[in-house]
Amino acid sequence: MGCDIVTVSTDTQFVHLAWKKSEKELAAVTYSMAADPTGKVSKAFGVYDEATGLALRGTFVINPEGVLLNSEVNFYNMGRNIDELMRKFKANVYMGRKTNEVCPSKWKDEGDKTLVNPGAKMVGKVHEALAG
Amino acid sequence: MGELPQTQPSVKLGQRVPDFEMTTYDPVRDDFGKVSLVEQIANKRWTILFFYPADFTFV
Repeated sequence: MGCDIVTVSTDTQFVHLAWKKSEKELAAVTYSMAADPTGKVSKAFGVYDEATGLALRGTFVINPEGVLLNSEVNFYNMGRNIDELMRKFKANVYMGRKTNEVCPSKWKDEGDKTLVNPGAKMVGKVHEALAG
Repeated sequence: MGELPQTQPSVKLGQRVPDFEMTTYDPVRDDFGKVSLVEQIANKRWTILFFYPADFTFV
C-alpha cells in the first residue's frame, strides 16, 4: 500500500531547501517538504494558529479516496512519536482490508491480535476475547 | 505553556478532506515540485500530512 509522507509548515520551499541542506538531523530525509506560506492548508486542517501565523504539530492520515481517517494535534512544546504514527497508519490500512476486525491498543503490526466482529457477545468479555 | 494557540474548526474524521495543492521541496530529486490531493487520489496513494511550526526548529 503506497503512502506518501508530506511535511508541511508555513515556511517557503526555499527555506525548506536551506534547512534540509544545513541540518544534519535531516540527512536521511526523503519525504517531500511542502510550503504553506498563506496558511491555507493549515487552516483547512485546523492547525493554523492565528496568534502566531504558525502551524501546530498536527498529523493527518488520509486514505486513497481522500477521506480523513486519523488526526492528532500537539501543542508547540510536544514532539510526536513516529512509532505511534506508523502504528496508526498500519492499523488504518489493515482495517481498510479487514472491515470486520478492530485493532486494539496493543496491536502493532500485521499478525498481531485483533478483535473479530465485536458485538453483543463481546460486551463485558473483551478480556477473554483478547486472551483467546 | 504561555499563550494558548487560536485555531479554527476544520475537517472531521470520516470526511473527504478539502482539495489542496502545495509547492514542495523534494530532497530526493533536489528540486521543487507539487503535491495535490487530486493527484494522490488519482494515483491511489495514502497521504500523511505532518504539520510543524517552523523550519530550523525541532519537529
